[in-house]
Amino acid sequence: MPVQQRVLLLLGALFALLMVVNKIKREKILMSDAIFWVVFSVIMTLVAVIPELAFLSSRVLGFQSPSNFVFLCVVALLFAKVFGDSTSISLLKNRVDELTQELALRDDTGSHKGSCESDMPQGH
Amino acid sequence: MRVLAVIPAYNEEACLEGTLAMLTATCPDIDYLVVNDGSHDETGAIVSSLGTSGINLAVNTGLASAFRTGMKYAWRHDYDAVVQFDADGQHLPEYIPPMARALREERASIVIASRYLDGSRQPEGLRGVGSRIISWLIRITTGTKITDPTSGMRMYDRDMIGWFAKNFDIAPEPDTVALVLRKGGKVVEIPARMEDRQGGESYFNLASIITYMSRTCLSILLFQWFR
Repeated sequence: MPVQQRVLLLLGALFALLMVVNKIKREKILMSDAIFWVVFSVIMTLVAVIPELAFLSSRVLGFQSPSNFVFLCVVALLFAKVFGDSTSISLLKNRVDELTQELALRDDTGSHKGSCESDMPQGH
Repeated sequence: MRVLAVIPAYNEEACLEGTLAMLTATCPDIDYLVVNDGSHDETGAIVSSLGTSGINLAVNTGLASAFRTGMKYAWRHDYDAVVQFDADGQHLPEYIPPMARALREERASIVIASRYLDGSRQPEGLRGVGSRIISWLIRITTGTKITDPTSGMRMYDRDMIGWFAKNFDIAPEPDTVALVLRKGGKVVEIPARMEDRQGGESYFNLASIITYMSRTCLSILLFQWFR
């Protein structure tokens, strides 16, 4: 893996870490959601500092170059993250619906219920 | 000194009534608020029968959010202190008065009921290892020794109630203890005993333990310096 690439990885890791810390400071991300980015940044640093990790894995798994292996890993990791985010967003949507319904039903003190029933056509 | 016991409850139909009976028998002067965190069992019905001492959350939001609901209630109703109390019967109400005394006399922000202050050994296994790691992290980052950081029985003063009620991402967990220490607050421990859970089951599994540990450790080691 060329030196330039290792430096880029390091800069990327540093940038990710700074972004997360900045968001924590400005109360824009929950700590539980920040864990992923810190771990991501640590992994990138590890690969940049100990490129032998990438050499060994790429040889064992039959990649042409360690950079290809690193790219694939980053893409796979991001895919996993996006998928996780998709499920989180689904849950959030469902939760907003549920909360809206609950809120509306809680406001219902039963007063409309009576009038509604009396408006119903009386069957014979 | 008006103390409110905040009791978050998630699927605790098996033990909630026993816990409340024990609490009211031992500490009749203490108000309590059970926060049902969107349980799927009969906890909601029990909580509904409690009148103003129970709140039902419409959906499950997690322990921190359920507890903060109680903190908002305490803030709005001018309580002087809140004790975090488990619904499963692990916590013994007889320790609430000494905790309140320690809070007042030592002007502490947080009082923790510690199982290990009397020199008892922490349990072996994963739970004990996790607790030791957190203890150690708090000691190296704040210089204060907390013998039982994962004790769930903690009492908070009025300023802490406001903090929980208004701030972002504050959980009733060890990382908040570390944050308070670093910000110059006082944390006191008193010796206490705890029971085993009296029924139902804990919803801790391997995934939640990993999430819990990574959040707590990263928060103490890294995030707290920026908060």
